[in-house]
Amino acid sequence: MADGKRMDTKTEPSGKEKPTLSLVLDELKDCVDCIHQKLGGSGADLVYFAAIVDNNALQRDLIGPLSQASPEQLAEALSGAPYSSAKDLEACISGIMNGGAAVFDGQDAYLFDIPKQVGRTIEQSETETIITGPHDGFVESLEENLGVIRKRIRSAKLKTIALEIGEISKARIVMLYVEGIVNDSFVKMLSERIGDIEIDGVADANMLVQLIDENPNSVFPQYLTTERPDAVISKLLGGRIVVILDGSPSVICAPTSFLEFFSSPDDYYQRWPIGTALRILRLIGFIITICFTAFYVSVTTFHYEMIPHAMLLNLAESRSRVPFPPLIEALLMETTIELLREAGARLPTKIGQTIGIVGGIVIGQAAVQAGFTSNILIIAVAISAIASFVIPSYIMSASLRLIRFGLIILAGVIGNLGLIMGIGLLVIHMAGVTNLGTSYLTPIAPAKFMDILDTLVRGPFWALKKRPTISRSPNPVRTKIKR
Amino acid sequence: MKEKLNGFHVALLIYMIELDVTVFTLPRLVASEIGTNGWLGFLGLSLLAMFNIWLYRLVYKAGQGRSVFDIAESALPKALLYPFYALLALLWLSVAAFAGKSFILIFQTLTFQTSSPMLIFAVYCLLVYALLTKDLYSIVKASTVFFLLSIWMLVLSPYFFREWSLDRFTSFFFEGTKNGHSIEGILHVYTVFIGYELCMFLFPYSDAKTKLFKGVFAGHAFITFTNLLTILISFGFFSFEEVKILEFPVIHTLEFIEMPFINRVENLVFPFFLFSNLVSSVMFAFAALSGIRRMLPKVSQKKLVPPLIAVIFMLGFLPTTFRQAAKWIDISYFTETGVAFALPLVLLMLVRLGKPSKGAS
Repeated sequence: MADGKRMDTKTEPSGKEKPTLSLVLDELKDCVDCIHQKLGGSGADLVYFAAIVDNNALQRDLIGPLSQASPEQLAEALSGAPYSSAKDLEACISGIMNGGAAVFDGQDAYLFDIPKQVGRTIEQSETETIITGPHDGFVESLEENLGVIRKRIRSAKLKTIALEIGEISKARIVMLYVEGIVNDSFVKMLSERIGDIEIDGVADANMLVQLIDENPNSVFPQYLTTERPDAVISKLLGGRIVVILDGSPSVICAPTSFLEFFSSPDDYYQRWPIGTALRILRLIGFIITICFTAFYVSVTTFHYEMIPHAMLLNLAESRSRVPFPPLIEALLMETTIELLREAGARLPTKIGQTIGIVGGIVIGQAAVQAGFTSNILIIAVAISAIASFVIPSYIMSASLRLIRFGLIILAGVIGNLGLIMGIGLLVIHMAGVTNLGTSYLTPIAPAKFMDILDTLVRGPFWALKKRPTISRSPNPVRTKIKR
Repeated sequence: MKEKLNGFHVALLIYMIELDVTVFTLPRLVASEIGTNGWLGFLGLSLLAMFNIWLYRLVYKAGQGRSVFDIAESALPKALLYPFYALLALLWLSVAAFAGKSFILIFQTLTFQTSSPMLIFAVYCLLVYALLTKDLYSIVKASTVFFLLSIWMLVLSPYFFREWSLDRFTSFFFEGTKNGHSIEGILHVYTVFIGYELCMFLFPYSDAKTKLFKGVFAGHAFITFTNLLTILISFGFFSFEEVKILEFPVIHTLEFIEMPFINRVENLVFPFFLFSNLVSSVMFAFAALSGIRRMLPKVSQKKLVPPLIAVIFMLGFLPTTFRQAAKWIDISYFTETGVAFALPLVLLMLVRLGKPSKGAS
C-alpha cells in the first residue's frame, strides 16, 4: 500500500463463531433471493430464502406474531418451540439453507424450520410401471419418500441414519433398515462408504451408487435402484438396507445380486405359477437380448450349414442384395435401433410417437428395399430390442444392450466359439463382482438352493420361509405359514 | 468375511477340471485299449482314481488341513524344494497349454480349416488370463456357472435311444483291442481322470464344514457317470469296430442330432465344451501359480500371471496338428498321472518327518 499501512486481510469465518446478523449477512451476500427483513413491533431481524420457505406459514406463524410482540415479549416468544437456538454460525447457515428462517434479537440467533415442499406430488414412476399393484412412486423430496415408506412399515424397528453428501451441495441422505433383521456390519460398511465420499455434489442416486460400489469399472449395476415403494418395502423386510437421497426419486437397495434385477414387485401380486413363468420369461429375454443377434451373425458368417433348408433359400435371397458382411450389417442395424431408442427418450412426447413410427416402420422397410439390410436381420434386431425391455431394471437393460455389441463382434470374428467365449468372459467378470462383500452371482454361486425359490422362480409364499441369505440377517426366519 | 469353500462347489470344480479334451477320444481309447464291454474296465479305473483321491484325503487328515507347501517345507529345506516347485509348475503349465491347444485344434479342424489356430488360442489364453487373475473363490464361482452352462448337454442323451442297441456291446469282455492289453494303453484311458489331484491346492481354503473330500469324491463320481454315459452311448450307437476307428466318437454322435429348426447341432453344442477345458487349463495354471508364488512370495499375483500366460501361449506353438497335440497330451498327462500317484505318498512321508510350522496357512 502507498501509505505504508498493511492491508487488513479478511479471514474466512470457521463456522464455529457465534451467529450474528452481520456474519450471516456476510456469508449470504450476493444472493438476491435472500431476504433480510426488520420486523416491526419486536424489532427482530429476519433472514430467509423466499424460494425455499413456506411463505404462507412464515407470514402466519412468524412474521405476524413477532410483529405484534413487544421487544420484551420477544425473548419469551423465542425461548420455546417451534424456535430452536442456532449454536454456531455453521448451524445457522445450514438451517437457513434447509428452508428455515433465522431470527436475530440482537443477542442470539434462533431458527424457525418452515421448508416449502418443492417438487411434484406422489405419482406413478415413469420407468417402472406395473399392471397390478400399487401405482405410487418415489419423488424428489426426501420427506415425501420417507413418509411413503413409514406409512407401509409402521414399526419403531424401522431405523434411520442421517448422512450428508456433497461439499457444496450438502444433500441429505437417509439410510433405512429394520433393526433386528439387518446385518449391522453392512450398515456400518455402507455408512462409512457414503461418509468417505468427497465430491462437490451428487445429482441422483444412480450417480451415488457409482461412487460407493466395489467394481466401478464394471458395466453391470451393483446396487438396485428403484422408484417403487413396494419394492423397497420388500427389500427392507428381507434384511436389506435402503438409501434415500434428497432430490432423487431413485432409492438404493443393498446388498444386491445379479438375479434381483430380473424380478419385479408384481411377481408377488400374481399366483406363484404365473410369477414363476414371468421370471423365466425374463431370463429367456435376457439370453435373447445378448445372444440372438450375435447368433444370427455367427450362423450367417461361419455356420450356414446350421440353417434349415426351408429357411436357407429365403435367407440367401434376402442377403444377396446386401453389400455388407453380416457383422457390419448387424452393427449398423443395432446402432440404428440404439439411435432410435435414444432419440425417442429425448424427444418431446408429442412428436416422439410419430418419430418412433417413422423410424421403426418406414426406415426399417426402406432399408430392406434399398438393400442396406436383410428383413431377417430386422426381425432379429427387433426381437433383441424388445427382449431387452422385458427386464424390469432400465439400468440393467442398458448394460445388456452394450454387452450385445461385444458379443456381436466376437461372433462375427470367430463364430459360435466367439459367442461362447464372450459369454465366458462375462461370467468370469461377474464372478469377481461383489456387493458389500457378498457375491454378485448369489444364489447360483455360492449355491443357496432355498434362495432360488425367490430368484430364478417365484415360489409359493408358504415355501418362502427364510430371508435371502445375501442379506446375512441375524434373524433369517421370515414367516411361519404352515402347509 | 472370508468364507471357506463349500463341498458342493468343490464337487462341481473337480467335475469341470476332469472334463476336458480327452473326453472326445475316450470311447475310442476304451475300445482299442480295453476291448469289448470296456466300460467295466473304465469303472475299475475310476475306482483306482478314487483310491488315489483317498491318498490325498490321508494327507489332508495327517497334515491337519495344512497347505501341501507347508507340509513339504516343514520337513525339507526350501532350497531343495524350489527346483521341484519349478518343474511341477512347468508340468502343470504344459498340461494347461496342451489341453487348451488340443481343443482349439479340434474346433479349428471342424470350422476354421484355413485359420491360424494360434490366433484362436490367443483368445483362449486371454480367457485363461482373465480367470487366473481372480482369486480361487471367483474361479470356483465361475466354474459353477460354467457347469450350469454345459451340463444341459446330458439332456441330449435320449436322442440316440432309437438307434442304440445292446447287441452292439457283444457278449465278450475285454476282447478285440488294437494291440492287446498294455500298461500304456490302460494309462491312456486313465488320463481322462486327470485333474482330481488339484484338490490338494484347496486344502488352505477348506475347513471342517467344507467337507472337502466328500465334494471331491462326488465330483469324481459325477464325471465317472458322465464319461460312462458317453462310452455306453458310443458303444451302443456305433459298432465296436467303428468306435475303434473313429477319431472323435463323441463329436460323431453329436453330428447325428438333427432338429427341425436347426441343422448340424454339433456346431452349437461343441463350443460349450470350451468351458470345461477352460476350467481345466485355469486350475492347472493356478497350481503352477501357487508353486511360483511360494518361491516368490513378495511378487504380487497380478505380476506373476502375465508371464505364466505367456509360457502357456508359447507352449501352444509346439503342437501344430491334432496328432502332435495328442502326443504332447500323452507325454504331459502320463507324467501328471505319475505325479498324481507319487505326490500323496511323498507328502505322507514328509508329514511324518516334519513338524507343523508356526504360522502355517
